[in-house]
Amino acid sequence: MSVLPYAVAAWLFGIGLYGIATSRNFIHLVGCLGVCQSATYVLLLGLGYRWGSIAPIFYDHPPGTPAVDPVMQALVLTDIVVGATLTALLLVLTIQAYKRGGSLDPEKLRPMRAVGQSGRDRGSNRVGDGERKAS
Amino acid sequence: MTAILPLLFLFAAISGTAVVLVRDPARQVFAIAVNGLVLAILFDALQAPDVALSELAVGTAAVPLLFLVALMAVKTQPPEEDS
Amino acid sequence: MSPNARIVLLALAGLVLLPGAAAVIAGLPAFGSTIAQYGERINAVAPEARHVANMVSAINFDLRGLDTLGEEFMLLAAITGTVVLLRGRRGEGNTERAMRRPGRAVIPRSEAVVLACRIAGPLTALFGLYVVLHATVTPGGGFQGGVILASGTLLIYLGEGYAGWRDAIRSHWLDALEGGGALLFALCGLAPMLTGAAFMQNILPLGTFRDLFSGGLMLVENLGVALAVTGGFTQLFLEFMEETREAREPEEPGEESA
Repeated sequence: MSVLPYAVAAWLFGIGLYGIATSRNFIHLVGCLGVCQSATYVLLLGLGYRWGSIAPIFYDHPPGTPAVDPVMQALVLTDIVVGATLTALLLVLTIQAYKRGGSLDPEKLRPMRAVGQSGRDRGSNRVGDGERKAS
Repeated sequence: MTAILPLLFLFAAISGTAVVLVRDPARQVFAIAVNGLVLAILFDALQAPDVALSELAVGTAAVPLLFLVALMAVKTQPPEEDS
Repeated sequence: MSPNARIVLLALAGLVLLPGAAAVIAGLPAFGSTIAQYGERINAVAPEARHVANMVSAINFDLRGLDTLGEEFMLLAAITGTVVLLRGRRGEGNTERAMRRPGRAVIPRSEAVVLACRIAGPLTALFGLYVVLHATVTPGGGFQGGVILASGTLLIYLGEGYAGWRDAIRSHWLDALEGGGALLFALCGLAPMLTGAAFMQNILPLGTFRDLFSGGLMLVENLGVALAVTGGFTQLFLEFMEETREAREPEEPGEESA
């Protein structure tokens, strides 16, 4: 039991890496990255736990009662919320890669070209977008 | 109580593995939501109610929704370049 | 790189990393035996020093407030990047009205769904507000409450349809909420400096322990985080939903599109 949480964290990170390396779909890949991320949560909260301690909230219990480590919880708390926005950013990049490359498969990803050069400009804002992406 | 924590850790490992091994993104969304729920229960058992609340809101609602909408965006819109 | 070569490379990396991970795990303190000194000291000192009951909020908004400021701007940067990528393609002009989804029938919602959403929506908003406001007393705070509030707005989408959702929620307001929240947090750091105190020093009256109004400056910072997270996540949902639709001149303005 004394090493189980750390072993679970290592396992989650390892399986997430395996998923990222073998993924054939970008959306699936982002999900695997989330598994890697959850490994850090398990590790940090596992490190901060102590048997018989209360949650670090001294509302029902008077201050001074043994409580678990609040620093780890503060770290994980902000990371979960900020991590979700980063997941959104990755998903948007996935959508853009699909629109420009025509595939969600990392194996079929090709280098990006400027839209203007290949003569496929269909509308002004897409040309501007293409230039921005290419730069 | 001492038996619950190891079980929850094992569930977290299993559900995380399921997220990786479910290769179809449409089904993976559900695995992600289940993983978020298991993690939220685990965090609550680890005396971290703040984190559990955060994981519950983000992991079981917001992130799976973003995945679903991203899937829908990919399915409904054909790629721009047909080379 | 071929998939097989990739797996071989991963296996090699695993062979190198595994002994290292095993050594680190063996060196860590046994699970549940002890916690770090820093956390122990905070638990001992912070309730008297800051008059707050929730140590996690005390760390996020006071003791390590600078870190949270960094997180806050990470959030802002990630959401700005997402919105720029999505809107850049569609053009800035289409942000005000709902775009349409061609080729799909509009399925009218059953009255049960509409009623359930009209009951659950305000309740969810109330719960989100409760979680936001009780940051210093019970588990909760701007981060969690903000996500709950943002998810609650989706009930409008479920109950009133896409056009109803877009009518209720204005994209520009969300921009203002998100940026304003981050600005409020940054100002909370800068304002104490005007009085000669240090950056983000808690200069407001601390209030009474276990009271809703405890923690002084933390309450304002918490509000800033709540505004930024609510605005940011709602903006994410909105821009993602918009991505599944096509920009087209609406034949009848205000027509319901689901």
